[in-house]
Amino acid sequence: MTQLQRLSVRSHEQVAPGVFLLCLSGGLTALPGQFVMVSVLPDSVPLSLRERPGEGFEPATALPACDPLLRRPLSVHDCRPGELVLLYRVAGRGTVLLAGRKPGDSVDVLGPLGQGFPLSASRQAILVAGGIGVAPLFYLARTLLEAGREVLFLFGAGEQAGLYRRRELALSGAEVRLATDDGSAGFHGPVTGLLREALGRNQGAVFACGPEPMLQAVAELCRAAERECIVSLEARMACGVGACLGCVVPVRRHGLAVYRRTCTEGPVFRAEEVYSCNPTCP
Amino acid sequence: MQPDLSVKIGRLELKNPVMPASGCFGYGEEYEQFYDLGRLGAIVVKGTTAEARPGNPAPRVAETPAGLLNAIGLQNPGTEEARLKIRRLARYGVPVIVNVAGHNTAEYCSVVEALSAETAVAAFEINVSCPNVAEGGLSFGTDPRTVFRLAGELRKLTEKTLIVKLTPNVTDITEIARAAAEAGADALSLINTLLGMAIDTRSRRPLLANLTGGLSGPAVKPVAVRMVWQVAGCVDLPVIGMGGICCANDALEFMLAGASAVAVGTANFSNPLVCPEIIDGLAVYCREQGFSAVRELVGLARRPAAHKAGGTGGCGRK
Repeated sequence: MTQLQRLSVRSHEQVAPGVFLLCLSGGLTALPGQFVMVSVLPDSVPLSLRERPGEGFEPATALPACDPLLRRPLSVHDCRPGELVLLYRVAGRGTVLLAGRKPGDSVDVLGPLGQGFPLSASRQAILVAGGIGVAPLFYLARTLLEAGREVLFLFGAGEQAGLYRRRELALSGAEVRLATDDGSAGFHGPVTGLLREALGRNQGAVFACGPEPMLQAVAELCRAAERECIVSLEARMACGVGACLGCVVPVRRHGLAVYRRTCTEGPVFRAEEVYSCNPTCP
Repeated sequence: MQPDLSVKIGRLELKNPVMPASGCFGYGEEYEQFYDLGRLGAIVVKGTTAEARPGNPAPRVAETPAGLLNAIGLQNPGTEEARLKIRRLARYGVPVIVNVAGHNTAEYCSVVEALSAETAVAAFEINVSCPNVAEGGLSFGTDPRTVFRLAGELRKLTEKTLIVKLTPNVTDITEIARAAAEAGADALSLINTLLGMAIDTRSRRPLLANLTGGLSGPAVKPVAVRMVWQVAGCVDLPVIGMGGICCANDALEFMLAGASAVAVGTANFSNPLVCPEIIDGLAVYCREQGFSAVRELVGLARRPAAHKAGGTGGCGRK
């Protein structure tokens, strides 16, 4: 169930230039593929009157901070009892503020949100990550491995430094194959170059998260191979709970093109729904 | 003693002056998981048109300093599906206000006519101010004669409380306010969003697929307070004030400027509990400041200051 909670920062470290791993302690549980909306406002500023029961109303101090106004949607990178882990890249003013949180600080989190990855009964699975797209797939990989599945994890980035958390991934027991555009690690070329071969030897569904061109290429290869393909999308969001209709994506359902909310019906979609659709439809 | 928070908007009696703003609360479904919607003064549902509308292409939202640009484009399921969602809200025992939008006069009329006999509907808010659709919306709301004609037509169709929602994208909002009042509106709500734009310097393209969008959030609040002040000073109708309200103090500013009630929009997105928190905050303020009823605050900032003569602003009709 979606809850609004204050979680405490257990650890917060930079794992690569501009990429942070934020471990929060608290009772928020999420499924692989779900996300949370995180308030980036410093917690020294009271968010609302709610947090000051019995102190009365003092206009000067009760003013909520309102800039940046919106929460930031972040994928759940891992989740264990009492611990929620987020991996994010600093992309603007909001994430710069978030990056300043120190252990012991609290973070206002709304979640879990959205639909998780569908876990089929298949014995095998192929996960395809591009750069920060590793964020939700890490948790999926761990969950699949713990369920006794065989996981082939294809991980691509521009350069070696963009292969975030690759060592932890390898330690998790997944078979990890790397690809870089500059050839600094693994296969020299796009991650889809690894997927062709992978589809031949692993019969599982494909789960992908990464930049839009990568997702399109993965979807195309899966379509040609008649392989089930699930993608996790990113979108600009305002509310995260389905009210504002700001994060829609055009999808094809039962032959009809309709807008679906990335936050509520997604962020996980079947690739053929999203990529069979002309971006200007319906 | 608990202060009396009840207010009246025409014949509509609200147990408190706080309602979510149209378009920021869907049909209530997304927020009922966070608190009892029965606590609200009223519920204002999404802009509803005769037929379902798909809305605008994405991206539809962009954050700006202390604000949000949106170009949703009136995505809604159409009157008949909206009717079912509105009936569902009846369980909360709170007046439901239906925001009505259309391409043309006939569409506005058809929505009001279709829902006028619906007992679950307490009032209509006529959206003549949406900046994100090519026809209707804003183009209706910037011309006083058009507003007068449309509000007059709708007045003939319903006995229910008729609220006209005004756009700030005009030179003189009081002209439009007077036109709506003369046509028989029971109340006015303001402001809708301010037409705005943001450009991505990396792609060198506008951030919104619709190019322009409506600006909301704390960034617009001073403009909204000023317009509520002007309209409340010119028209003898209750005003529902909105524009960037994030906390009880913001709501108080609007009420002191002359609003009888307030609507909370964008703040729901960052804080789903903002409406009940504002209701609690108003009660605390009344208690601590010695007001037995929140309606005593309406327009209090308009009284002449003790230390200086006269006021400022207003519509020139002093």
